[in-house]
Amino acid sequence: MQNTEQRQPHVPVVAGISDPILEGISNGWNVHESTDLADGTLLEADVIIIGTGAGGGTSAEILSKAGFRVLMLEEGPLKSTNDFRMDEREAYRDLYQESAGRMSKDGAMSILQGRCVGGTTVINWTSSFRTPEPTLNYWADEFKVAGFSKDDMAPWFERMEERLNVAPWQVQPNENNSVLARGATKLGIDWHQIPRNVAGCWNLGFCGTGCPTNAKQSMLVTTIPEALNNQSQLVYSARAERLIFEGSKVAGVEITALDKDYQPSGKMLLARAPHVVMACGAINGPALLLRSGAPDPQKRIGKRTFFHPTTFCFAEFDQLIDPYYGAPQSIYSDHFQWLEVSGKAGYKLEVPPLHPGLTSVLLMGHGHKNFADMEKLPNLHAMIALLRDGFHPQSEGGSIELAGDGTPIVDYEINDYLWDGVRRSWLTMAEIQFAAGAKAVRPSHVDAPWYHSWEEAQKGINALEFRSNAFTAGSAHCMGGLAMGEDKNKCMVDSDGKYHYLDNLYVFDGSAFPTSIGANPQLSIYGMACKQANALVEKLRSAQGKA
Amino acid sequence: MLKITTTRRGFMQLGTASAAALTVGGSLAALTGCSKAPAASGYKVLREGDVRFFRAIAPVVLDQSYPGTLGEQAPERLLHSLDRLIGTLQDYAQSQLLMLLDVMQVAPLRAAMGAPWADWEKVSHADIDAFMQDWKSSSIQLKRMGYGSLCKLLTMCWYSQPETFVTTGYPGPPKKIPA
Ligand SMILES: Cc1cc2nc3c(=O)[nH]c(=O)nc-3n(C[C@H](O)[C@H](O)[C@H](O)COP(=O)(O)OP(=O)(O)OC[C@H]3O[C@@H](n4cnc5c(N)ncnc54)[C@H](O)[C@@H]3O)c2cc1C
Ligand code: SF4
Repeated sequence: MQNTEQRQPHVPVVAGISDPILEGISNGWNVHESTDLADGTLLEADVIIIGTGAGGGTSAEILSKAGFRVLMLEEGPLKSTNDFRMDEREAYRDLYQESAGRMSKDGAMSILQGRCVGGTTVINWTSSFRTPEPTLNYWADEFKVAGFSKDDMAPWFERMEERLNVAPWQVQPNENNSVLARGATKLGIDWHQIPRNVAGCWNLGFCGTGCPTNAKQSMLVTTIPEALNNQSQLVYSARAERLIFEGSKVAGVEITALDKDYQPSGKMLLARAPHVVMACGAINGPALLLRSGAPDPQKRIGKRTFFHPTTFCFAEFDQLIDPYYGAPQSIYSDHFQWLEVSGKAGYKLEVPPLHPGLTSVLLMGHGHKNFADMEKLPNLHAMIALLRDGFHPQSEGGSIELAGDGTPIVDYEINDYLWDGVRRSWLTMAEIQFAAGAKAVRPSHVDAPWYHSWEEAQKGINALEFRSNAFTAGSAHCMGGLAMGEDKNKCMVDSDGKYHYLDNLYVFDGSAFPTSIGANPQLSIYGMACKQANALVEKLRSAQGKA
Repeated sequence: MLKITTTRRGFMQLGTASAAALTVGGSLAALTGCSKAPAASGYKVLREGDVRFFRAIAPVVLDQSYPGTLGEQAPERLLHSLDRLIGTLQDYAQSQLLMLLDVMQVAPLRAAMGAPWADWEKVSHADIDAFMQDWKSSSIQLKRMGYGSLCKLLTMCWYSQPETFVTTGYPGPPKKIPA
């Protein structure tokens, strides 16, 4: 039976919201679309920052506040409040890498990553966690990362939490999140409220398509406007194509101007500055260095790329869940995360928002089965488990390669070690869902039917076959590829984020993580970039003092 | 033993008995020049043959939701959405996908991959479904990857169209009135 009646959204009309970016531009910000500049234009600054996401935005604010002339380069378009119409089609096309169709080489992992001014922070779900202590300790032990103890980091996290208004979400969680809290409580599994970086959130649920109310404290409405107020320059639709080296220095950046369809327009620009910060994120950052032929004696560029491979388990309820409305993530459980630090893969439990386009992909399959699942949407709940990769000899992560045209290819294999985690996570999620009152549960594996009891699910899940491409492994957390640490056999950048083999190149973004984080990564990046950008300011100042 | 290589030319390099057929077919595809065929009129990437292929499999993949309230506009809307998505995939993923679509255009080649021999317009829904079921549970990784890609592309492009919301019960996003 097909639904034929359109239900009315029980969310308020969004009106009366200003667009701070349009206002800033009309007040004279130095902002240009690359194709508006003449072919061959030379851009100059004190510091070039490539990429305007979590790491880039944070660094731009700090460096520009300290009085340095900052040039921000961003390959994505500039979209802002008035463009955010909560439409999946527009959002994936304009705000995501490869229209949200990015995947690993073998197609087994779907990768969501941002591509717009503000980077992935424009489309993320606002969960804000400090880097877990076991992760920081592991980095110190295994990679000789210095100055990143829990106490070293606390003041930097505090600063960024204050800057981005991070606080535990006090509003009643939506029904999708409540399922996790309710089921976990029944089973004696501990859970907590998620801290979010929002100010005056309308509780709409559309963080993933760009916040229409400016409530989400993404880089787009916080650090980037501040950097522009501090005389920084922003050039968007501008892809850093190649770094130009002279001796042990980056002498300049060759830029491809992209057109409205996000394809090369034929124009090239050039940028020059004494210091260059890469903040173009995992995957693309390593690809830029590979394209440029950056010095890499140990052939480590792009190695140890991590994803928090994410598994999905769906549940059908009698009551309405409306999983597309309300703050997308407000409850989490770390119960299964740190049972062992470097043994079997641990995982964090959360829930994802379910908008129809993305949901159809996550459900997998085709024909009557897929459609029947889609018809359940209003009564559907989903839970996710984010597997912590990079803490075990059998979890060395993926690597980045280049396609013929210099674009990245992500080679990442879901192996037996991860599969063991996948199966355990499905069992955990199914048990919690049944405990919360689910009528039926189905892990996202093409062979899995709907199970109607926990006993049936347990048997069924244990019998599911491990075939790559047969189950959903997703990722919204791209990390690593330019590992940080003092151990040059394993690492590409030092603990200050400086590239080991170049004097004036820094990497301030998620690609510097030597393992995955074991928590949603944005606050880890903010804290790290804040610390490292401030150290860079000190270094540049003392160099100026000497000059 | 199956040895699967997922190199750049992965779809042409199945290390199985059918590999011979496939490679022959691959050169056949090259000879008939279908991978060099220009995009169909009005499209950026999809070629005439791809349009026919997607039109044929859409009702099977999307089941009763298709064409829904979009009626006669459904194929056009879906195909243009697909065209745009495939057009923004980067080199590697796009070339892999176009290679898969090449294979789908040449009867002996697609037959070697377990897809129907007849022209796509003439294949029954049951036969399309059978080939998709076969790919879904195949022991050959490339078939599973092909299955996953085709399903993901179609459903993502389809269920994000506002006209389909009524079939899934999604009430849609709140109204937005720019200031
Ligand atoms: C759907 C989704 C939900 C998420 N939810 C959360 C969450 O709730 N909590 C959390 O902590 N994390 C979340 N994340 C992840 C988090 O937002 C990212 O890990 C983080 O933003 C990464 O920061 P970054 O600085 O490394 O890179 P990004 O923020 O990705 O920024 C990199 C920028 O560089 C640009 N760029 C890339 N290459 C070039 C080039 N060559 N030239 C110029 N520019 C370039 C990109 O276009 C991009 O804008 C989510 C991610 C997604 C996709
Ligand atoms: S839930 Fe809050 S932060 Fe997210 S899009 Fe809605 S208003 Fe913005």
